[in-house]
Amino acid sequence: MSDTLTPDVIGRRVEVNGEHATVRFAGVVPPVAGPWLGVEWDNPERGKHDGSHEGTVYFKCRHPTGGSFIRPNKVNFGTDFLTAIKNRYVLEDGPEEDRKEQIVTLGNKPVETVGFDSLMKQQSQLSKLQEVSLRNCAVSCAGEKGGVAEACPNIRRVDLSKNLLSSWDEVIHIADQLRHLEVLNLSENKLKFPSGSALTGTFSALKVLVLNQTGITWAEVLWCAAWCPGLEELYLESNNIVISERPTDVLQTVKLLDLSSNQLIDENQLYLIAHLPRLEQLILSDVGISSIHFPDAGIGCKTSMFPSLQYLVVNDNQISQWSFFNELDKLPSLRALSCLRNPLTKEDKEANMTRQLIIASIGQLKTLNKCEILPKERRTAELDYRKAFGNEWKQAGGHQDPDKNRLSEEFLRAHRRYQFLCLSTCVYAGGLQVADFPLEQSVPLEYGAPEDWELKTQQPFMLKNQLLTLKIKYPDQLDQKVLEKQLPGSMTIQKVKGWLSRLLKVPVSDLLLSYESPKEPGIEIKLENDLQSLRFYSVENEDCLLVRW
Amino acid sequence: MRECLSIHIGQAGIQIGDACWELYCLEHGIQPNGVVLDSQPDQLENAKMEHTNASFDTFFCETRAGKHVPRALFVDLEPTVIDGIRMGQHRSLFHPEQLLSGKEDAANNYARGRYSVGSKVIDLVLERTRKLAEQCGGLQGFLIFRSFGGGTGSGFTSLLMERLTGEYSRKTKLEFSVYPAPRISTAVVEPYNCVLTTHSTTEHTDCTFIVDNEAIYDICQRKLGVERPSYASINRLMVQAVSSITASLRFEGPLNVDLIEFQTNLVPYPRIHFPMTAFAPIVSADKAYREQFSVSDITTACFESSNQLVKCDPRLGKYMACCLLYRGDVVPKEVNAAIAATKSRHSVQFVDWCPTGFKVGINNRPPTVMPGGDLAKVHRAVCMLSNTTAIVEAWARLDHKFDLMYAKRAFLHWYLREGMEEAEFLEAREDLAALERDYEEVGQSF
Repeated sequence: MSDTLTPDVIGRRVEVNGEHATVRFAGVVPPVAGPWLGVEWDNPERGKHDGSHEGTVYFKCRHPTGGSFIRPNKVNFGTDFLTAIKNRYVLEDGPEEDRKEQIVTLGNKPVETVGFDSLMKQQSQLSKLQEVSLRNCAVSCAGEKGGVAEACPNIRRVDLSKNLLSSWDEVIHIADQLRHLEVLNLSENKLKFPSGSALTGTFSALKVLVLNQTGITWAEVLWCAAWCPGLEELYLESNNIVISERPTDVLQTVKLLDLSSNQLIDENQLYLIAHLPRLEQLILSDVGISSIHFPDAGIGCKTSMFPSLQYLVVNDNQISQWSFFNELDKLPSLRALSCLRNPLTKEDKEANMTRQLIIASIGQLKTLNKCEILPKERRTAELDYRKAFGNEWKQAGGHQDPDKNRLSEEFLRAHRRYQFLCLSTCVYAGGLQVADFPLEQSVPLEYGAPEDWELKTQQPFMLKNQLLTLKIKYPDQLDQKVLEKQLPGSMTIQKVKGWLSRLLKVPVSDLLLSYESPKEPGIEIKLENDLQSLRFYSVENEDCLLVRW
Repeated sequence: MRECLSIHIGQAGIQIGDACWELYCLEHGIQPNGVVLDSQPDQLENAKMEHTNASFDTFFCETRAGKHVPRALFVDLEPTVIDGIRMGQHRSLFHPEQLLSGKEDAANNYARGRYSVGSKVIDLVLERTRKLAEQCGGLQGFLIFRSFGGGTGSGFTSLLMERLTGEYSRKTKLEFSVYPAPRISTAVVEPYNCVLTTHSTTEHTDCTFIVDNEAIYDICQRKLGVERPSYASINRLMVQAVSSITASLRFEGPLNVDLIEFQTNLVPYPRIHFPMTAFAPIVSADKAYREQFSVSDITTACFESSNQLVKCDPRLGKYMACCLLYRGDVVPKEVNAAIAATKSRHSVQFVDWCPTGFKVGINNRPPTVMPGGDLAKVHRAVCMLSNTTAIVEAWARLDHKFDLMYAKRAFLHWYLREGMEEAEFLEAREDLAALERDYEEVGQSF
């Protein structure tokens, strides 16, 4: 908040009444006298103009209303790290503390001290601090050199999100003094890249780095990663990142990568991070992805990409094709998947069917949407999958007899696991989740290839499907022609006789009906009971009714 | 000093207990075999461990061999659930005498749990309780975990509570009860069991914290992205609340809250002792670091119905007392600001006769999450226990269901066969009706 404006004020992050901004200009703006600061707000609608005033361009903004001119004394340039910690964590001294006296010996003389107690208490409080949260505390710099290291060297976890740090230089100054730093959260800061590089050892203990909403680019991410040799978790949410190059020597220890809400990511960029050796968890929520391909894996093989990936999160995306899950089966280590709120999973009114199809498509999946897949559930899902695609399998050349089985490549690629599910016996090991008590359950997977009767689809219940096409013969009459007629199976014998009587002009009581089937020639079955239907006597299509009188 | 004995009754109580002790062990660095994790190379960690040793004495008893045994008792009238503990991960944590099981279960029947089957086991249970109590220097009280709807949870608990009052009249007894959910039911006769047990236990309990399954299912589905929450997920969430409540007994903190302090501050009249529990923040592990939760954010969240562990609408009632238990990175300044902001909100209405209404506890240990769980690790959390008149809605629902079944005397013969009389049912129902009237009365303005 000083009135003297030095050139290094440009680029600094400041706060005015809760709104954060970056200083872009310092100087005089005629005709009004006095020094002014030109700032670009984080919130693009907060300002009045885009850096120009009365025709002259003083600085540039990305938005037409992104900038303002403010008096320097209205602006908060922030405070240093140590002061911020003291402000937050040191309990205020009560009035009774001031009176405390202690006798200390210097040489031979006893000396009265006043107030030492509270000072020592303060210092011990700070040195015990391991976890520090300074979110929105207007921290802009590290402060006096060595101050932090002396007062609170044991800090392991720092939350410095939404502060006024303007460049990585300041962050490095702070981190240099915290030898045990393991978790660093720098979200919602806009940091410039440093002039030099970090000293080796600055971030040597760092395991978790959070850089959400910092506007960082992929190249900058790789620069940071170079200083953190032991980095295990990296969070990069909402940065509009485009993965532009493959990380070669950096990020090799990373186990968790959060790339959610980066809408510019697409599946081709994912190939660039596919060879990180330790990556176990990948969070891709809300990135707008709709498909994924692992072209290097042939039919029945696993891909070499994402070798350690165990947990994939693809919630809130645009997945609308089943082939997505079919591709995921190629991942060698995938054990858990979360795919809520995608078009494919939203439309389906029977959420159960979706779940079953996903389970059947991905063989080693143990957890879906945070629910464990029990062996019984897997078995039901696989059986249903086998039945659901049975007709397609047949059309693609599938056959119960393994020698005659010649499936098209297209089918094999689209349904990777189908052949596996059809194998006649297979040992199925399903592990229960308790880590130290694994139970191997061997269930002989005798699914076999789908039988024809399983594949018969139910015909819709319409009258025309209920009609039987029958031939009508009159064996005792030589000159009557053979009629072909369609009769409903539910028609009673009485009604058939009635109709025949009207047709042949013979009284009903004289008629004797029987039928024979082409499947069993020579065998005649009498239709004696008038009250029963044709279906009762198992009259089928193409059978022949024999009428005698 | 200040030891607490936990008694876990019935399937619900035991499964919650399993999750609970697992969490306590994680928080205190105790391994599944009872030994404290000792291999810290860092001196600071060691110093911290020594510092906290003295405090977890309230829940763990240290044997001469250096093992830490929980001060807990698991009771059930049939063996299957307890066998799960005997063979499970924590089998070496508990002494075999702490795991008590009968042979014949209560079959969802209060009468069996209380009279026929329960009476056979009660003496053994009391004997073991006495043994555990003798190991304590200064027993503060008991924490009972059970469900209202089951046979053992309802029947056996009421028997046990009566006898505990007889033997340990000056000790506090707090309950953590699973209340039957409004729309999800695990037993048809739940309403009978609940009404009967509430009637017989009310005078023996000092405070009953209720949670219900449906509220927690909804939280798991909406906030944690769990498609089909299992009992394991539900219990894990519930024990976070339990852990927050007992945190000040187990860790030193700037503002500790004792068991007796709960009573004093939350219970305005002896019968009005059913506070509602709420917990914040509830964040999915997939969304770690994405949302920031300041003290004022989490305090406001506690007053939202989506964070409550019981299905009831507090906007329909008035608050009589409120206890906010913060843990983690919380500074007193921020707490004061958050509470001031809450008091000024119109939706949070207090009764006329209780102007201040807030009790605050702060503990610096941040919440621990169980590995493989659904919750994200957060820097700070708050558990709110509020005594609100809106909870009468829960009792009204229950009474209504009871009336429907009782009008037809449906399922009654199962209770009468075990030696109960209809008079007991009527008495219990009258008692609950009186409880509803009591709540209405306290909620009225002058």
